[in-house]
Amino acid sequence: MCSASMPPAAGTGLEPGFRGVICASFGATGDTAGQHTGVQPRHDLRFKAANPEALSELRSVLERSHVGVRLVLAGPPADIRAAAAAAAECGLQQEELTLLSDETAPRVIYCPHCHATTTTVRPAGSEVQCRGCATSLATTDHFSRRMGAYLGYSAHAEEAS
Amino acid sequence: MSITLDKDTDTATLPERIRRFPFPFLGDQYRYSANVEPANKNVPTDAGAWGAGLIDIDEFYHKELADREAILARDPSRMAVLPHMRPAVWDTIATLLPAMAAEYPDIMSFHREGNACRWQNKLQDLDVQFTVGDDDSLPTGPLRFLGTQIQDDIVLLDIRDNTMWLDAGLVTFAADWSFNFDVGMSFLEIHGPVPRVKEENIISRAEQFLMRLQPGEQFRRTNWTMTVGNRLDTSTETYPEWGPDRGTIATDPDMPDKLHLRVEVQHLIRLPHTGVLLFLIRSYLLPLRDIAKVPTWRQKFGHVLAELPDDMAEYKGIIRYRKAASDWLLAG
Amino acid sequence: MTITALPITAHPAVEGGLQLEVTNISPQTESIVSITLADPSGARLPSYVPGSHLVVQYGSGVNAYSLTGSGNGPTEYTISVLRVEDGAGGSVAMHQLGVGDRVYVSRPRSAFAPASTATHHLLIAAGIGITPVLSHARAAADRGTTSSLIYVYRPGAGAHVEEARDLLGPALTECSDRNSFQKVLAEQLMTQSLGTHLYVCGPVAFMDAVLDQARELGWPPARLHSEAFGAAELDDGEPFTVNLVRSGLKLDVPSGASLLETLEKAGKTIPNMCRKGICGECVLPVLRGTPQHRDLYLTDQEKAENTTMMCCVSRSEDPELELDL
Repeated sequence: MCSASMPPAAGTGLEPGFRGVICASFGATGDTAGQHTGVQPRHDLRFKAANPEALSELRSVLERSHVGVRLVLAGPPADIRAAAAAAAECGLQQEELTLLSDETAPRVIYCPHCHATTTTVRPAGSEVQCRGCATSLATTDHFSRRMGAYLGYSAHAEEAS
Repeated sequence: MSITLDKDTDTATLPERIRRFPFPFLGDQYRYSANVEPANKNVPTDAGAWGAGLIDIDEFYHKELADREAILARDPSRMAVLPHMRPAVWDTIATLLPAMAAEYPDIMSFHREGNACRWQNKLQDLDVQFTVGDDDSLPTGPLRFLGTQIQDDIVLLDIRDNTMWLDAGLVTFAADWSFNFDVGMSFLEIHGPVPRVKEENIISRAEQFLMRLQPGEQFRRTNWTMTVGNRLDTSTETYPEWGPDRGTIATDPDMPDKLHLRVEVQHLIRLPHTGVLLFLIRSYLLPLRDIAKVPTWRQKFGHVLAELPDDMAEYKGIIRYRKAASDWLLAG
Repeated sequence: MTITALPITAHPAVEGGLQLEVTNISPQTESIVSITLADPSGARLPSYVPGSHLVVQYGSGVNAYSLTGSGNGPTEYTISVLRVEDGAGGSVAMHQLGVGDRVYVSRPRSAFAPASTATHHLLIAAGIGITPVLSHARAAADRGTTSSLIYVYRPGAGAHVEEARDLLGPALTECSDRNSFQKVLAEQLMTQSLGTHLYVCGPVAFMDAVLDQARELGWPPARLHSEAFGAAELDDGEPFTVNLVRSGLKLDVPSGASLLETLEKAGKTIPNMCRKGICGECVLPVLRGTPQHRDLYLTDQEKAENTTMMCCVSRSEDPELELDL
């Protein structure tokens, strides 16, 4: 478990004035227990992954919330990014969000050639085979919060002939 | 302004694609800059002129629009509108169609009464009525419809919280980027992969400038790269199709005909009703063979290619063949 | 076309703007009048962003007034003007306008825009501050977004009250005293859904109090919007003199005119592109004096050196600047 270090810089924490915290954690590595949230009301949610059921529950909690609330998300980057996107759709502002990202968790690579995503534990910069079209993808650090994924592209296209 | 050809009659014999080409180089060197200027200003070139109007319709109108249709049919992800951007799409239509009618009164007309509009485009034998704000009043939806009327790619950037966000667009002719992947990103995130600009602070300066534009203001800039083959769709999506040409063009005897200078005339318009920034990208291709017909273009482009630093050539995807192109141009 | 009712020259702040005709005058209260302007030819006017203002020229001065419509494809502009007896004279001049008079106005300028992602607008207005907020309420209704309004006014002195009632129905809360307003505000600030943005317009102290209370209740800056006229644009600046050493010329740069415009009027050709302080084309060498740098081009270090300036937007801290020109 390490602190937020993904682009863009995550929320800096709980500014004065907030009136409650929702802490949502994903997977085995997501843990918000150690997050100090002070004396304000706190609502904990635990999910295996950011699957449709989990996101729908998160949404319904947020829809019952009022301005003044803060959200803390912990777990693998792909899960918390998907959850952050759902929260943004509910109207949550970036400043109201704290991301605790587990950088050791698998990264998601988006293949623009077939639109499939592939999960990899290989370090940034290494090639990944797309599970959609089998293309060898070079991976970049160009990250989309909407997709929760890094952009890949055909690694050897210019050498093909 | 300077006409360096011996006689003006020399330019008159050049084909229209050359005379109207927005040749972007003023000197023998190119660097990134925030080269913005007010739109709708005629720019004389050594072969003709460009830039007098906002929406440029040329001899490739029908071909490019047919290309766009085919691309969208294959890959609908080239168009996206996040829900909060629907008003901005209508704002775009209510801004561009009257502008086109004013620029091309013989072939286009636009009438609006309240939100009820009528648009006629003789180039397409089109006479259509729709209601601003009502997505169902245009069978294909408003953005897709606009994409059938102009050759430009369309990008809409929302401005909120002192940041610009790419939240909608229709981009079928991307030059080495993926529109679909970038949807939802901030202006700074989109430009993350561009070398140098971060150190030189160009992107954040450009963002500050664009956010200060007042609704209704129209600016433009040019950008350039090179493309192998006469194709506008060099998106990341189709990279496996066109990427291999980059590896072979340097030694191809047909290089002067296959290798093109691609120039984008980008318009930056703060939309009047939503305040959203409309970014229009109109792309022009001209093969080296045509460029060489204008002696000053041949020289300038040849020198620019020879001098361009490696990191910029790498980013533009031209590093494998820029020397061959430069040699050919300067040998002429 | 007769332009006799117009001042001879347009103020720089309304240059490139519109010449409109007064088509209706309608008193709102004893001290507030609504003025409707239209193009004399009946042409459609430029659309505007909700919450925009219009700079209107009166005599040799200018004032900014909020537009009250939704801004979608308008055929007329309506502003409401509070008469300020001890002001600079603008509001008094505006109250003397009659139907048929012509005025110079700027194009609408946006400095109080709605957030596109908001699903609810909480509008808060005091007194004449109702005007831009009414624009927001109308635009929200246009776009199918909900809004609610807390409107504070002295009994009998409220402008646009009937329109607000028609537009908002039960979503309008009218307050006439501080205590009832405080109670309503606190309650509303604590019960807003996450899609809500807050917009406030009124006297500065009123806006500050509302924004402070919102922040104390956990509202981040991104959700808070307040009307500050001209915040997004550069002010006219103080007049100064430039001494062009090589040309042996001295020129006065008046307030509201740029150095670049002044040099061009004097017949100087200065390379320039954007005229907005970003492209770097119009750089001029400074020999003496401290430029007031207002551009986005020069680095902080270059600005500190005071040896160059962008003449399209930058001015002078000193009464006189010496240029190598």
